[in-house]
Amino acid sequence: MISCKPITQKLTLAFLIFFSFSGIKIFAQDGKALFQSKCASCHNVFKDVTGPMLGGVIDKEYYGGDMKKIYNWIYGVNTLINSDPHYMDLKKQYGSVMTQFERNSLPEKDIDAIFAYIKVTFETPTTREPKDPLKPETSSNQNAVIFGVISLILAIIALILMQVNSNLKKMSDDAEGIGRPEPVPFYRNKVYIAMVALVFFVVGGFYVTKGAIGLQRQKDYQPEQPIYYSHKVHAGINQISCLYCHGNAWESKHAAIPSVNVCMNCHKSITEYVKGPELFNEAGKKIDGTAEIKKLYEYAGFDPLKPNAWDPSKAKPIEWVKIHNLPDHVYFNHSQHIRAGNVQCQTCHGEITAMDEVKQFSELSMGWCINCHRQSKVNFNYSDSTGNKFYSIYEKFHNDIKSGKMDSVTVKDIGGLECQKCHY
Amino acid sequence: MKKFLIIAGCVVTGIVIVSCNHVRRDTGRAYMPDMAYSVAYETYAPSGERLKASGAHYTGLPVEGTIARGEMFAYMLKNDSAGYVQSASVKSPLVAESIDMKEAQRLYLVNCGICHGAKLDGNGPLYKGGDGPYLAKPATLVGDAVYEAMAEGTMFHSVTYGKNSMGSYASQLSTKQRWMVIAYIKSKQAAGKTATSAVAADTSAVKKPAMDTVTKKM
Repeated sequence: MISCKPITQKLTLAFLIFFSFSGIKIFAQDGKALFQSKCASCHNVFKDVTGPMLGGVIDKEYYGGDMKKIYNWIYGVNTLINSDPHYMDLKKQYGSVMTQFERNSLPEKDIDAIFAYIKVTFETPTTREPKDPLKPETSSNQNAVIFGVISLILAIIALILMQVNSNLKKMSDDAEGIGRPEPVPFYRNKVYIAMVALVFFVVGGFYVTKGAIGLQRQKDYQPEQPIYYSHKVHAGINQISCLYCHGNAWESKHAAIPSVNVCMNCHKSITEYVKGPELFNEAGKKIDGTAEIKKLYEYAGFDPLKPNAWDPSKAKPIEWVKIHNLPDHVYFNHSQHIRAGNVQCQTCHGEITAMDEVKQFSELSMGWCINCHRQSKVNFNYSDSTGNKFYSIYEKFHNDIKSGKMDSVTVKDIGGLECQKCHY
Repeated sequence: MKKFLIIAGCVVTGIVIVSCNHVRRDTGRAYMPDMAYSVAYETYAPSGERLKASGAHYTGLPVEGTIARGEMFAYMLKNDSAGYVQSASVKSPLVAESIDMKEAQRLYLVNCGICHGAKLDGNGPLYKGGDGPYLAKPATLVGDAVYEAMAEGTMFHSVTYGKNSMGSYASQLSTKQRWMVIAYIKSKQAAGKTATSAVAADTSAVKKPAMDTVTKKM
């Protein structure tokens, strides 16, 4: 019984410590929640956004660590902004004025909690390190090299074995005393020459045909763009919808390249690349994302130090290299395919959310188009809201489906193979 | 000697084939490209030196007051603080019943959801509670009294010209589409309000502090 006493004491102590720590944690958590709900739309801990950065602001000369001055500002924005030269300068620099808070909506202890959170976050630099760097994949290249080496070795072994075989045959002939004429060297042997000619004809013919078919086709075309723009980072990791930038694909023939102001919607505040995986170009060279964002600012005429002075109308267009080119004698319409036809972007453009540098995934040949038109099924349920009312005019097909003659309607059935659909 | 030459030749061709670069940076050749390239200027087709020299790029802002074909009407308020205040009295020209909410939701998810969140909680994939790349916290559209009380005209003004960290969406959404998105946000706010007040009414019978949240929301 006596020995129990220290244990209970220790237990209560442990509980006390635990609770006090969890209390601190709750305090900091509160600070984070308060910061996010009250301040974060205009302030960031590490960077100037709409308003000045708040990390270390308390230690600046004007405040000198005095929380009273902070309270004075927060509760008295409307008077101080026109009387205090410090704030008048800030107004000039940032071009907008903070909303004043009342004591009952944001009491002093909440401000303390917010500044405690800011201090802790600002002094923990580890949160700013880039996470999980990804190495570029080289396994497929290595595989090709290995296969090449193995086939070379096998070919050499085969040659040696053939030589050994003929030598052995000659030796056995000699031993048995059969006199044979001196063998014809292999380059004058008619069988060999015929074989080589045949192989040459087949292989050469294959490549000539392939090359001729491939004229003016650009599958796998992957040009270097003026800015290393990674679809993987934007559409993959950050889950930006394709239509955010290529919204015209929904409404028009062209998928449209976004103008600089669309980039700047986000990059006005995202000025550096720190949180994503490391980037590499196709040659395996490391890419500095922040430097690429700087290139965008060059085109936009945007100075990250003076964000409010930016004039979007002064931006210069970025001349991206067009990858997907159809000949002029083909008509293709994006909205027809993705809006009416419900085709996913990835069906033709491949796994774009995994591509750093975009390359042409499909052949964009006529055979490729026609094949898809033969196989793609049309959503014929015009009676419910998912289908297109237009298809109600194909009465024959509806009757055939009802009577079981057809189980589905493909693009081909509604005229998808007509020449004039695409060539006119 | 000959054998050596043949083997060396094999090895060299093998190495050349294997070490070929797989990145295709060129467009390849065209054979008789008679009808491949448009004679007329086409969107995004290589415009040639003549257009470039004349500086004809179509990324500038349209002339002030321009109304695109099929567009509703010009929004007349200026992008300044006076215009911002005035915008509170602007009413949506759309008839509430005729708005295609499904399309409005799609427009919201494509253009706004990335920051303001699919649940309108101001926590989209770009912000992710502070872990995403976006520095400023996007507005909490449902659940924040400021934005629930905000007039639809003010919202429209902000979407048209941009506000704080948010850019202008006038180039991505037509006037009608912007009003549709705002109608969607307002409908979600109304739905959120009835939901929270219903929950609060339930809990207020049991717990007193819940009253506090009810008064705040009102």
